[in-house]
Amino acid sequence: MNATLLLQTLVDGLILGGIFSLSAVGFSLIFGVLGVVNLAHGVFILAGAYLGLWLKGALGLDPLAAIPVVFLILAVIGGALQQTLVSAAIRRGSLMTSLLITFGASLILRDLLILAFGPDIQSLSSTWLLRTYHVGGVVIDGARATGLLASLVLLAVLAVALHAMKVGRAIRATAQQSFAAGLCGVDSNWIYMLTFGVSAGFAGASGIIIGMINPFSPFDDAYWTLNAFVTVVLGGIGSPVGALLGGLMLGEISTLSSQYIGPRFPNVFIFCALLLMLIVRPNGLLGNAYKASV
Amino acid sequence: MDAFNGRIPAGIWGLSGALLVAALVLPFMLSPFQLRLAQQILLFGGMAVAWEMLGGFTNYWSFGHTAFFGLGAFGAGLLGQQLDPSLSVAVKLMIGMAFAIGLAFVAALAIAIPVLNLRGIYFAIAMLAFAEILAEITKTFDAFHGTSGFPLPALLVPGLTKVQLFYFLFLVLFLANIAVFVWLRRSRIGMGLTCIGQDEDTASMLGIPTERYKLIAFVLSAVLTAMGGVLYGYSLGFISTGSVFRIDISLNLILYTMLGGIGTVAGPIIGAALMIVLTQVVLGNLLDLHMMLTGAVLIAMVILAPKGLMGLARKVWDRRRGTAEGRP
Repeated sequence: MNATLLLQTLVDGLILGGIFSLSAVGFSLIFGVLGVVNLAHGVFILAGAYLGLWLKGALGLDPLAAIPVVFLILAVIGGALQQTLVSAAIRRGSLMTSLLITFGASLILRDLLILAFGPDIQSLSSTWLLRTYHVGGVVIDGARATGLLASLVLLAVLAVALHAMKVGRAIRATAQQSFAAGLCGVDSNWIYMLTFGVSAGFAGASGIIIGMINPFSPFDDAYWTLNAFVTVVLGGIGSPVGALLGGLMLGEISTLSSQYIGPRFPNVFIFCALLLMLIVRPNGLLGNAYKASV
Repeated sequence: MDAFNGRIPAGIWGLSGALLVAALVLPFMLSPFQLRLAQQILLFGGMAVAWEMLGGFTNYWSFGHTAFFGLGAFGAGLLGQQLDPSLSVAVKLMIGMAFAIGLAFVAALAIAIPVLNLRGIYFAIAMLAFAEILAEITKTFDAFHGTSGFPLPALLVPGLTKVQLFYFLFLVLFLANIAVFVWLRRSRIGMGLTCIGQDEDTASMLGIPTERYKLIAFVLSAVLTAMGGVLYGYSLGFISTGSVFRIDISLNLILYTMLGGIGTVAGPIIGAALMIVLTQVVLGNLLDLHMMLTGAVLIAMVILAPKGLMGLARKVWDRRRGTAEGRP
């Protein structure tokens, strides 16, 4: 086996995995704190990419600089969605109905994206990219490395916020037991809205990074939602570290299988890994960050 | 709650008989386009009833029933190509049907053992993954011709047009679905499944064989769905991964059931009829908005009528009867 090729594949997997991690962390947080599987997650990601495109065209804003703006816009959309539809669905039906609600929302949002931006494949480009490096025969693509770096920074910010800030403590407390958190003076309704909003914001931010690396179209949303789910099931629920671990595993499975078995095989392997993990350890390697594993 | 296996009221028998007669006469009166709509209502309404056999009683909502649908279509279609070409198409269809039933039976048993141990959302997503794996496999390995697609022979019966013929075939399967569902609901299994839906741990503690009941419902549901896939494949005449392994089929089955009323016989059928007519006739010219409308209906139903149209109708009916008898 060629050592350089193996190393290159592993590096590619790591870079891809870092970006998968960011794209999944919002999904993971909503799942951990609210118990909701957000099927609109993929549309949030694409909405981020399209907003980046729009900001670039309208204001000439570089995609990387647009991340905070996109984060805020999607946080508002996500928070509003939680307050209006998701909470009503959980109150009236069960957690299962939240699947239907978020799926319905994803259909509507995707059609809105198509109406606003057209069904064509688009891509984003930034002028602030790192150079492409060659380290001992291994090529590190500049755009991808930039994406990885931005992803890691954002994940670190989230991890610090969750663990060191007061609001992060309130989020973790609500996830553990919302009733008890309420007794201690945490407004769980506000925390739910905040979590949904922040998660949507992270999805949007990851959308920009994904858009800089891959072309995207409004029809990719199911792919990203599934990716996020696989990442969560592989790594663990509700924590940035779980998302990072899951994302890296997903990235490695994906690149290794496509390099050594065939470019058409990654999806088969990914879904088999998902099924296997669901059966063996449904809450991921690290388990649920907040609750005892099922 | 009414007795599980009480006598079915005469009114229901009468209504069902009248509907059946209408369904038998209809193909000779409708235009081909209308008949095609009726076909879809029978096929997908019937499959939604099959989906309900597990999902209607319990929280085991399969988000990947298209796995069995595609399995049936591909199994029967690919076997048909291997058979002696001199065999008549009807024989091929029957052999393919038997093969698909066996295939779905084995696949459902194999997947059920791990997957039915998962609960709620995990089960839903595991089924979704199962459907995706099958879809990817048919696309990845050339032996299955999933990407390019392959033709199925045309089934002809003298005296009937193709649309009429498949209308009747779908009708037969539709009736079979309803019969199995009604039998299931009125049997001990149905009662056990309802208990599982309310509280699985308590049910198993009370001595209900939860694993066996879930397995029976799941396998029945899978086999009937695969039969739908076989007929659908033959009615299309050409299938590929994209036409039978469709995530929107899985989701539509749930949508129809939710819309009409989960746990009832009429619910999924009414839901299917409503959505198919709405998307294909009313919005026939607005193809871009199909999905948006589906999403809006889904959200509106979950928020406004969580028990579906049947639940809404029952509520209105109960309230009326309540006031007539002097109760508030």
